[in-house]
Amino acid sequence: MQSALHVQNLHKTYRNGKTLKAVDGVSFDIQPGEIFSLLGPNGAGKTTTISMLSALLQPDADAKTDIAIMGYSLRSEARAAKALLGVVPQEIALYEDLSARENLDFWGKMYGLTGVELRKRVDEVLDLIGLTERAKDRVGKYSGGMKRRVNIGVALLHRPKVIYMDEPTVGIDPQSRRSILDGVVALKKQGMTVLYTTHYMEEAEELSDRIGIMDHGKMIATGTHGELIQMVGQKSRITMTVNTEGEKIIDGWRTAVGVSSITADDGKLTLLVDDSNQVLPRLFEIAAQRKIRITSVDIQEPNLESVFLHLTGRALRDA
Amino acid sequence: MKPIVIALKDLTRSFRSVFALVFMFGIPLMVTGMFYLMFGNMANTETGFDLPRTRVVIANLDEGNAQAGELGKMVVETLQGKDFSSLMDVSTVSDAGEARKMVDSQQAGVAIIIPADFSNSFTDSNAVAEIEVYKDPTLTIGPGIVQSVLNAFTDNFAGVKITVAQALKQAEAGQIEYAQINQILGQYMANIETNADPRQLLDLRAPAAAAPAKSLLLTIVSPIMAGMMIFYAYFTGVNTANSILLESEEGTLQRLFTTPTAKTEILGGKIIAVGLTVLVQVVTLIIASRLIFNIDWGALPSVILAATAIIISASAFGVFVCSLLKSTKQGGIVFGGVLTVTGMVGMMDIFTGNPNSTQFGIVPLFTPQGWASRSMLLSMQGASFEQILPYTLFLVVFSVAVFFIGVWRFQKRFA
Repeated sequence: MQSALHVQNLHKTYRNGKTLKAVDGVSFDIQPGEIFSLLGPNGAGKTTTISMLSALLQPDADAKTDIAIMGYSLRSEARAAKALLGVVPQEIALYEDLSARENLDFWGKMYGLTGVELRKRVDEVLDLIGLTERAKDRVGKYSGGMKRRVNIGVALLHRPKVIYMDEPTVGIDPQSRRSILDGVVALKKQGMTVLYTTHYMEEAEELSDRIGIMDHGKMIATGTHGELIQMVGQKSRITMTVNTEGEKIIDGWRTAVGVSSITADDGKLTLLVDDSNQVLPRLFEIAAQRKIRITSVDIQEPNLESVFLHLTGRALRDA
Repeated sequence: MKPIVIALKDLTRSFRSVFALVFMFGIPLMVTGMFYLMFGNMANTETGFDLPRTRVVIANLDEGNAQAGELGKMVVETLQGKDFSSLMDVSTVSDAGEARKMVDSQQAGVAIIIPADFSNSFTDSNAVAEIEVYKDPTLTIGPGIVQSVLNAFTDNFAGVKITVAQALKQAEAGQIEYAQINQILGQYMANIETNADPRQLLDLRAPAAAAPAKSLLLTIVSPIMAGMMIFYAYFTGVNTANSILLESEEGTLQRLFTTPTAKTEILGGKIIAVGLTVLVQVVTLIIASRLIFNIDWGALPSVILAATAIIISASAFGVFVCSLLKSTKQGGIVFGGVLTVTGMVGMMDIFTGNPNSTQFGIVPLFTPQGWASRSMLLSMQGASFEQILPYTLFLVVFSVAVFFIGVWRFQKRFA
């Protein structure tokens, strides 16, 4: 099946006094209808990558470099490729002295919409982003969350096949963030392909069909959440406290299926298990048999933070 | 027609900006209006100029005479009459010293002191009575008019005196009756009164000309309006072109580049917006100043030629200057420095109001504003299309050259 977005051998070097390789040989494919998250810390090269995929930046010249949107080369068939592409930039890119309707009207014309079709589509998008009542107000008077909604609405006007969203939840309140995340899921249901960049692990985990982890300009791993976790062999960590000396239960739990290791430290017992959902009931059963009461349980599932840590030696939040 | 859509969007944004509207229309009209009001008392379009009324104080000390009557009073009443009211503001005092004091303290421009024996001297052939005219030495025209009027009176009186003296001799010789002398005197007095016609003293004529004479006010204000229009048209050109940099900083330009719209279309639309904005500004100012201040811009073909060259030049210059800037922050230096200096140098002709003046030589022509002002001033002076053409042609050629440099720089930047 043809990829919705095909990226091959992307490079970008900045030469400004010293040489900085911002993107170094990035390649990935996104299938139609997929949400693909590009996860990485600040400075990983995510925005530079998106800028090249939007034709805002020229990649370094390389015969092997290829970017194609729904099969249209961004280099040789730019107009056709861009007609299928919607871009939600990280910063608000709207005309604040025009109203929401005027903004959508203008951008719709830039995407080739005209006449009745344009008017109808503007009304639909205003309804979608919940700003029909405030359509005539100037964008400059909107709250940050409302501006973000219009920012996203502009990218949806022409019903793109592929949409880039560059860190759309940065700096907004939790409620608006929730609304945007729900909106992204809704886009997928409409059959859109989404390339979503973020440095929030939780967003990548929640939204994505597949995730690409970037650091220092390189794509260090791609795959589903499960594949990435398994790639580094991470296990779930269960920490428990019991109402007696830990030694009395350790032997029993060590023999339980799925328990890889168990350690006792300062009254707490820490177990590494394959699947906490399957192992935990067994642990409770063994404790009950020995009349030992479990007073607290803490489960830490393997996450992308630990994947990143494993792959780069640094925490995602500290990078 | 995406370039047109982009241009109209920019036009909408420009005309929603209060700051831009004040700069484009408010300040040029306001500055011209200020000069219009300052020089508003000078001139009307029909007679050329108005003389200020001279304040005259008369001390009539004449005691009168049974035969001549009160000639002093006649002088006072005649000068206070409506025929001289447009020239003089006449008041009377009872004392000569008080009259002189009023002139010394500049409460009056001229004091006329009619001596006590004025009427007596009229009937006494050996007596001489002089009317004293005491005037403010700083005034010339007003006292001169008063003097002329009095001279006319005294000349008439002298004529009467000579006639009466002759009539007396004839009466002594028995050639006429004494009673006839009064009749002769009465006729002469009536003649003096009817001949006291201010229109015979001052006859203001304008030189004959094929076209109606322009008022002094418009002669001063018209070049100022032209200068303001040109000065702020160039500001508008640069300010509108600056929107390219502003959109780049706002991110909307980059967003435009992600749409299926060619970069040439995008930049083309922005540049069309510059031209349209300056066009609206120039046309509006020409029409508004015509309606408000009655400024005559010249024959229509000449005005169109000069205005078109100004619009092209201001737009092209704006694109060129902005292509040299790296960010909108540098705009302050450009607006405040470059445009003001080039504008002021180019407006030097405005100070003389004469495009043919050699007072500043070719200095104004080192700036595009200088060529623009010469074109428009020539049009205002009534120059023909052919006379203006060389200036406008040079301006357009210069504009095309800087325009292409500006466009090339922008294309290179956003490649």
